[in-house]
Amino acid sequence: MKRLLRVALGILTAIGGFVDIGDLVTNAVVGSRFGLSLVWVVALGVLGICLFANMSGRVAAASGRATFEVIRERLGARAGLANLAASFLINLMTVTAEIGGVALALQLASSVYYLLWIPVAALAVWLVVWRVRFSIMENVTGLLGLTLVIFAVALFLLKPDWGSLAGQLTPAVPEQETVWTYSYYAIALFGAAMTPYEVFFFSSGAVEEGWTVKDLLQERINVLVGFPLGGLLSVSIAACAAVVLLPAGISVTSLSQVILPVAEGAGKIGLALVLLGIVAATFGAALETTLSSGYTLAQFFGWSWGKFRRPAEAARFHLSMIVCLLAGIAVLATGVDPVLVTEYSVVFSAIALPLTYLPILIVANDPQYMREHVNGRVVNALGMVYLVIILVASIAAIPLMIVTGAGA
Amino acid sequence: MTAQPGPLRPAPKVAGRILDAQLHLLDRQVLDHDGVPVTTVDDLELAGPAVDDAIEPGTPAPVLSALLTGPVLGTRVFGGRPPSSRLIRIPWKDVAEVGVVVRLGVSGESLDAGWVERWVRDKIIARIPGGRHDPR
Repeated sequence: MKRLLRVALGILTAIGGFVDIGDLVTNAVVGSRFGLSLVWVVALGVLGICLFANMSGRVAAASGRATFEVIRERLGARAGLANLAASFLINLMTVTAEIGGVALALQLASSVYYLLWIPVAALAVWLVVWRVRFSIMENVTGLLGLTLVIFAVALFLLKPDWGSLAGQLTPAVPEQETVWTYSYYAIALFGAAMTPYEVFFFSSGAVEEGWTVKDLLQERINVLVGFPLGGLLSVSIAACAAVVLLPAGISVTSLSQVILPVAEGAGKIGLALVLLGIVAATFGAALETTLSSGYTLAQFFGWSWGKFRRPAEAARFHLSMIVCLLAGIAVLATGVDPVLVTEYSVVFSAIALPLTYLPILIVANDPQYMREHVNGRVVNALGMVYLVIILVASIAAIPLMIVTGAGA
Repeated sequence: MTAQPGPLRPAPKVAGRILDAQLHLLDRQVLDHDGVPVTTVDDLELAGPAVDDAIEPGTPAPVLSALLTGPVLGTRVFGGRPPSSRLIRIPWKDVAEVGVVVRLGVSGESLDAGWVERWVRDKIIARIPGGRHDPR
């Protein structure tokens, strides 16, 4: 019974923790401009993150080594440092976007200008990182994030024409868009589903919670059930936008437009729930990205890290997270639009993805680390297919960004 | 490298496990005897004939004397070499086990390699309220 409860809790937090500001914004933008014609990318991304998270979780459980230790060991100091620089900067960009997302959601809830909420949000993130136990942090934000199910509920309450909605599911470029913007947003959506920080966080979390090979089954269930259901949440965000915003010709540029369909479909209660959900999801993701920035640095340089230690026993780890949060505040204080930061951060995530994916794929096949838990044939075949997809997305992203003027 | 006087004799057979410096030592995590991370192996120090010295036949082989850390990482990546006095050494005799990680047989608390961590801890982190709070 207790075991069943643990499995259920794991799945629920995986669903609630799946959506972050990148998924919210990108899915709503895509839904409002392309309808459901890019849903196949969400499916592709979800399968990819299942594969990737499962692999890095297995590496962490079998060898006790988290992702960035492995990256440095495999790539050596020079390539490892270049990788660290890229991954860390993109992660910092995501920290900034998530804190901005918390502040924007709080602005919508309170009518207090979001710039005033930013220091509050960052301080709250730091306090949780500083003080709250890892499992509590995971479960509370994950469960509260579940209120985002209201997007799916709102979709039903909007009573869309299901036939025409299903008709949009075939991959096709809408008339008013070009094939270039279509491809650009396909990459953005892919990057939003497969953000590298999720993998840093997932594998480091496995070390934090002391997972061993015995927990592998539980880990696999969490990922294989939780992430696809989280992906359904993403799709329902896009579908809401496709039903309400696409016909009205509104393309999403702010968070208030993301939640507009929920307000229309589910009224005031829906609005309250969706705001709670967005705050929880972005706050949870802000915690995960902040920790990930500490994890990547500490693991690369071999510092002592982890929330299971006292802060004084992982001093540089905690100091680096404080510095990252301050940097995030500084960027947001310039008045840059957090939604814009988010849109760029998901594309850059897609660009940086091969840097983390390839070393994990290699080590997951190394018997010195994995003993008998090396990748099976099926996982490796899928892994190679995804390696190609990830490389194509990564290489195509910057040219497409230039051609389309970042999707304009 | 100076010109070699002739073809080298093959390396003598050794008993025991052979470690590849690149594969098994460099860039590996170093843990102390309590399993606390100390650093990563940034470089290695060999004791033996200096570079460019002529090597007489029968000279004993160079011996790995220490794992290095600190600024040597920068010079390994970008080139150059810090002066010997700036190297932070973990003597090879302190190494207890080489596996997926390098384990030391001593506490990290007394090692030179931990001074930045100790400084950050004592001057900053431990002074923030709750800095010594046990999360478990």
